[in-house]
Formats: sequence, C-alpha cells, structure tokens
Amino acid sequence: MSNSVNISVETTCENQIREIAYDGTELYQPPPTLSESLAKCAARIDFSKTSLEDLKKEEKSAAAAEEDAKDANIFQESLWPWDAVRNKLKDAYTEICVLSDVISIAKDKRYLVLDPLLEDSDDTKPIVQVYTRKKAISQAAQVLLSGAERLRNAHSELRNPNVKDFHIELLRLRQNWRLKKVSNGAIIGDLSYRTAGSKFGMSGTFEVAKAEDVLDEETTTSNANSSGGNTPNTQISTNNGIQPNGSSSLRVIVPAELQGVAYIKVITQKDQEDLCTAQVNLMGHGPNITAQVGVWQKTLEFAQNVLFCKELFAQLAREAIQLQAPIPHVVIGNQIRATLLPNIQLIISLCHSTSFDSNQPAPINDHDHVLEHSLHQLLREVHYKNSHHPFPHPASAPLGPSKKRMIAGPTAADRDSLLEMTKTQTILEQIIAQAQHIFMRKRTQYVLDTLARDVKDPQIVSHWNAMNSPTMSCVKINIVTHGYDAFGRTSLVIHVKERSLKCICRDGRVMRLSYEPQELRDLILCQINSHQISCLVSLARCMAWTVLSNSNHLGIGKVEPLGNASSCLLASPNSDRMIAVQIRCDPQIDVKVYIARSPRQDFFPTPLVPEKFWENLGGNFKEVRFDKIEGKSFLNKMEFLMASLTSNTA
Amino acid sequence: MGVTVLQPYPMPEGKSGAYIIDHLGKRLLSLGATHAGQFLVDCETFISTPQHGTPTRAVHVLHNSECPASTFSIIDNGTGKQVALVADNIFDLLMLKMTNTFTSKKQTKIESRGARFEYGDFVIKLGSVTMMEHFKGVLVEIEYKPCITLSYCWEMIREMLQGFLSINVGKEYPSYFTTQTIMNAMGQQQLHKQNDIYEPMDTIKQYLEQFTNYRKHVQMHSAMGGTVGPVMMNTVVGMGRP
Repeated sequence: MSNSVNISVETTCENQIREIAYDGTELYQPPPTLSESLAKCAARIDFSKTSLEDLKKEEKSAAAAEEDAKDANIFQESLWPWDAVRNKLKDAYTEICVLSDVISIAKDKRYLVLDPLLEDSDDTKPIVQVYTRKKAISQAAQVLLSGAERLRNAHSELRNPNVKDFHIELLRLRQNWRLKKVSNGAIIGDLSYRTAGSKFGMSGTFEVAKAEDVLDEETTTSNANSSGGNTPNTQISTNNGIQPNGSSSLRVIVPAELQGVAYIKVITQKDQEDLCTAQVNLMGHGPNITAQVGVWQKTLEFAQNVLFCKELFAQLAREAIQLQAPIPHVVIGNQIRATLLPNIQLIISLCHSTSFDSNQPAPINDHDHVLEHSLHQLLREVHYKNSHHPFPHPASAPLGPSKKRMIAGPTAADRDSLLEMTKTQTILEQIIAQAQHIFMRKRTQYVLDTLARDVKDPQIVSHWNAMNSPTMSCVKINIVTHGYDAFGRTSLVIHVKERSLKCICRDGRVMRLSYEPQELRDLILCQINSHQISCLVSLARCMAWTVLSNSNHLGIGKVEPLGNASSCLLASPNSDRMIAVQIRCDPQIDVKVYIARSPRQDFFPTPLVPEKFWENLGGNFKEVRFDKIEGKSFLNKMEFLMASLTSNTA
Repeated sequence: MGVTVLQPYPMPEGKSGAYIIDHLGKRLLSLGATHAGQFLVDCETFISTPQHGTPTRAVHVLHNSECPASTFSIIDNGTGKQVALVADNIFDLLMLKMTNTFTSKKQTKIESRGARFEYGDFVIKLGSVTMMEHFKGVLVEIEYKPCITLSYCWEMIREMLQGFLSINVGKEYPSYFTTQTIMNAMGQQQLHKQNDIYEPMDTIKQYLEQFTNYRKHVQMHSAMGGTVGPVMMNTVVGMGRP
C-alpha cells in the first residue's frame, strides 16, 4: 500500500550565521564535526579543580585575552582542550608512578621506613595547674561573696529602719512633690501653684541633691556601687552604710527669695488700738508628714508658704491700687491699709523672716481664723477659676461665658439679671466686705449684750443664726417679761450686713439702720417701750380690767428725747378705779402711773354743778410711787396694783 | 420678670402719634416716674413656601430689648395651633439658612419702639407701633415687677392704667388672659391663664397678638381701598373700649 507518506524529520538548521551577503544569502557556519564536538566535551571536564588546573585555566584565559585579535586563536582553541586533557592525564600518571614507587620502597624497608607520629607530651608542671585552679576558684568565690554581701545589706536595711537611702528619700519626695530630671543629670522640682491655676510670675523651682556627709567616713573608694546617676561632681559617700540619725541623705536647695518663713497678718485697727488680728498661714493644715520624712519636707513647705503669701500680697496690692474707694487704699512697702468704717482701718501686711528661728513670733491675741481662712479660700478660688472653664453646650459655643450666661438666652433672662452676671468682686473688695461684716456683727453683739445686762425688767433674749454667710448674719431678738411670757412677746429680726442693719418687726415694719451702735440701742429701747404697754393691755384683759384706751405714740407732754411716749388707760371691773400709765424713753425707761377713783371723794355741790351724780365723773389722777410698790417687774407691780384696786362692792 | 399687660391706646382724632407719646410721657414724669432708656420690640414673619395640600405656615421671630440675650419665635400652622420657642440670639442666623423653606415677607416687619419709664415697682413703656415706616398706633406696656400671677395684681394694674392714661380699662382680664377651653387627655378643660405663673413668653405672645391686629387692620384698610395713614382703632381693636 502506498498510502503512507514519507515524512522526513530534520533538525532545524541551527547553525550560526557567519556572514550575511549583500544579496541576502546567509553563510552558515558549518556544524561541528564529531571530533569537534568531542573536543568540546573534553574541554568541559573539570579535573576537580586542582590548583594546577586553575593556573592553567587562568593562563588559558589570559592567553586567550591576549591573542584575541589573531585568527590563529580559533585553531589553538580547538587543539587546546586535548592538550589540557593530555597534560592532566600526564600529571595524574606521574603522581601515580611516584606513589607506587614510594610505596614499593617503603615496603622494602631498606631505604625508607614509615613510622607513626608521636603525640606531644604535656610538659606543664602540676604547680602551674594548681595556680590556675586557684585563680579560677578565687574569681568564682569573689562573685559569690559580692552577691552574699548585697543580700546581707538588703536584709540589714529591712531590719533597721533608720537607714536612709537616697533613693527611698527620693521616692518619698516624689510622692509629695513634682520632680523631673533635666539633661545634665540634676533633679529639678516645682513647688509653685502653676498646675493648680496660679498665674504668678515668680518661679518655684528647687533643686534636689545628695547630702554630703559632714562627719565623713572618708571612704571615697571607687566603690562603683554609686547609686544612680546624679551630678558627677558630687562626692559619693558610702551610702551602703548606716547614716547618722537626724540627717537625711537628700538635700533640697530652694531659691533665695523663697527662703525663710512668711505669713500674712491682718489687723483691724481702731484709732491705734488692735481690735482683731488674723494670721494667714498654710502651716498646720493637712496631714503632718514631717516626722517621717525629715528636714526637706519642712523646708519645701515653708518655701511654698512663702510663695503663696507673696502671690496673695501681690494680688491684694495690685487691686488696692486699681480700685477706687471713697477713701483710697494706701499701699506702703509690705502693708496695705484700707478703711472699713470711719476710724476703723484694716491693715494687711506680709511678714517674711529669713532667719530660721525655731520659736514662732509671739502669738497675737484674738486670732481670727475666719479672715485667715477667707483669704486663703479667695486666692484658691481665683486659681480654680483660671484652670476650670465651664464646658459650652453645644460644643460649638464660645468657651468663656459661665454656665449661667449660656442658659440666659433660652431662659429669657432680663436685663437686670444679665447685668448682675457681669459684676465681679476682687479679692480685696471681698475681704474688706467680710471684715466690715465681722466688725458690724461684733458691734451688734456688744450692743445687745450690754442692753441685756443693763435692762433687767423685760428680758432681752437674742438668738443668732448658726448658719451665716461671710457678709450677712441674722439675729432674732425676743423681749419677754419673766413670768409673763404668755402675755406677750415682742420679737424682731435684725439682718446684720456689711455697713448697715435691717430690722424687721413683727408687724411688718422694716427699718434700715446705719453702722452707728446708738441707733440700734435706741431702737431696742423703743421696742421695750411698746412691749410693756402691749403686755399690760393683755394683762389687764386677763385681770378683767377694761382697757379704755392705749396709744403707742402719745403726743402730749414734753418732747421726748428718744422715740415717743406710750400710754394706756385702764378701768377696773367695777369702774370705780382708773389707772393711767405712761412710759417714756428718757433714755432710761421711765414709767409713770396714776390712779383715780370714780365717785369723787371731794365732790361738793356748787351752784354751778348742783346735782350729786356728777361725782361719778371721776376724780383727779394721783401719782403712784411706782418704785415703792412690791413686785419684781413692771408687769408684776401692775398686777399687784390692779389686784389691790379691784373691790368686791357691786 | 413680673406681670406685663399690653394696652393699646385709642388715638383721639386729629392728634399725631408723637404728640400722644409726648403727652403721656410728660404725665408720667410729673407723676414721679424716671425715664430709664429706650425699648424695642420687633417682629418679623416668615411664610413657608406654599405646597399642595398643607396650609401655609408662618414663623414669627420676635426680639425684646428687655431680654437682650434671647430671640423668641412662634410657629403658626394654619389651623391655629401655636408653638413657641425661646432661644439664643444665634437663632436669627439659623433663620437666614432656612430661605429655601421660608421666605421673609419684609413688608410685614412691625415694631414697637419708644421710651421706658420706671415708677416704683412699675415699668411703663410707651411704644409707637410702626410697620415699614408707617405709623400704626400707640401701644402701652405696663409691668408690675414683684408679682408673677396676674390674678393677684390685675386690679392694681388696672387702677394704675386708668390713672395715668385716663381711659376706661374694662374690669375683665385682657383678651390674652381670658379663660380658654381646651381639649386634652382628660376631656374638656378650662385653662385659666390669669392664675398661671407669668413667663416672658407671655409678653411676646401678647405683642404678637397686637401686631397681628395691626396688620389685619392694614389689610382691611387696603382692601377697602383706604389710604394708609394714622389709623383709627375704634372699630377693630376694641379691647380698651367699654
């Protein structure tokens, strides 16, 4: 069958093109003959890269590089692989021959003997061994001993609490004060109130350093267990040892202007007399930790106190100059003088003593804790307002107005309340208001107490409110007669403000008094006046006597120096006796009592008035010697009088 | 903020508004009142763009110089229900952004401006009402500061008004305070506004009521073809007339 097709399989013509003629014909390099290909394979043989072979290769490449231009290069390359192979084989053959010769000679043992190699004998002496072992062991022992020493120290520290290590002191210091380390290794602390909101310019930085031992245990040996990196210049005293009690291994250096002890003294002076005094001091407040932590705590506390007092005084002085008061405030040196009331002055002074005397200055009498605390609180309030701003709701509202102002819009606040919100008081104004109020309160108390002591007949009882504000107090005064409390009690409330008093009586009358004590005294006397008459009216009703008339403001007789006279006219149950009472304020309470009999004893019919019945019109009033009547009080005497004048005859 | 009552003053014939205000002011000063500044209450109205089906809503934005930090706003949906709001002054800026929904009708901007007198516990304001520079009338506002309930002090306010205005003020409460009947969850209830605690919003609502009256009168007048001049209030705003 000749259906099959002859297929010829040929390799592609992969011969290299040697030349391309100008007419496009290509001249191929003839494919390598079998011998050429064998030579190429032989050239690839790698005789385990002996140095000889490498050298030869290098030579070959060098030679090839040199003779690159020549045409004879091709020929030499084709011969070269065989040459290389031949040489390699020749060398290998030579070496094998030599080896076989050597082995045969060695086997003969006549000219060449093969002996095993002997090892080196160890020629060190035992003593050297001992020395090396000893050194090694002593080094190990050293390590162990130092470790044991450290453990022993730690144990002894735990047992003995008096040992003060610098680091423990530093830890205590850090627990109470703000410290930080600066670049040159020193430790700087801050005792100012900046973080609490103060804007005072004086810096309150202090430095912490190691205490140098005065009684030196002199070992400045290079015990390199110097604890921590501090200023490299400080002496490294043996801190591992136990320090002498009383001194600490830590020292603080405060700036010169904050050294010493300072306090602010507040005095109220009346014409060169001291009325009351206050000291402002931060000492004695807060937990006392000086006992456990040593001298530096006290130093720092004093320094902080000095800073606080300076800030307070600077603020007060600034306000004293800026404020305009009717009588201007005077600032001289470290004293501020302000006038509270005529003849009464408030003196605020900053006392700063730089010498460390342990005894406090002589305690000034009448130490006023209130003013002291107030000044402290006022400055703290300023600090607080500086650091706490009310958050605006919504968050896009401006930051600044107080919460009240922010809700003033939606709650339709009127103009007066908006105006109130804008008013602020400086520290000096506030402390002056408080001092004025304290003074007014003392004066009012004095007036009431002296009146209560002097006037015995109706008793004046005053109840002061326990809860007050720094600028207002209230007192309730009850005027009662002992034994007759049920008949009547006159009460009034007095609001004591900064420069005035406001009196509210039971009947609703409101009276405003000034700071003069005499006005209050007069008012109370007038109230006593009206009290007596009103109680008498109730008493008379009780005794079945008829009150014919009474008046609180009698306008007859001589003009009274104080207030108005009050009077009362009573008639007995039988209408046969009449009593007339007049009370005046002279300024002592002056009581006049008159009685009259109804059918006159001295009636004689005259031609003008002939009838007998005219005797019932009542006779003259005769004065009673009221001070001689038995009785403890006015009402008591009146009761006896009325009782004695009541007769049973119909 | 005490109880405030608005009293429109009936203008006598032939006298101008300025003359009336001057006359009343002199009376007050001779009574012993002290002149204490000026006051201004203004009202601007925004109408919602008319949409199919829903009645047009109106937003009234009012200011009162007595509450300078606040802006008042009342929404009037067409059915008569009113919703009131008190806000910060920034509310005005908000209204500017609402021009898509609400358009301002500048021609109905109305205000009451004048002198303010303080007389003891009373604050009396004599206001001349103007709308787009046209004088509309005299509106007297009287405030009694200590009291917060109208029913306690209405008699005193009435006496005071009659005293210096020399007009007859009716014994019944002003129209804003009359008892209303409302429906709520508990059935029909009577709302006694005169016994409630008085709020600054009540002043503004009264002003809105008065301003609406003035506006209606203008519309009536213009509908009748009359000129816009000094307005006689006898027929329409008859609150103070017996």
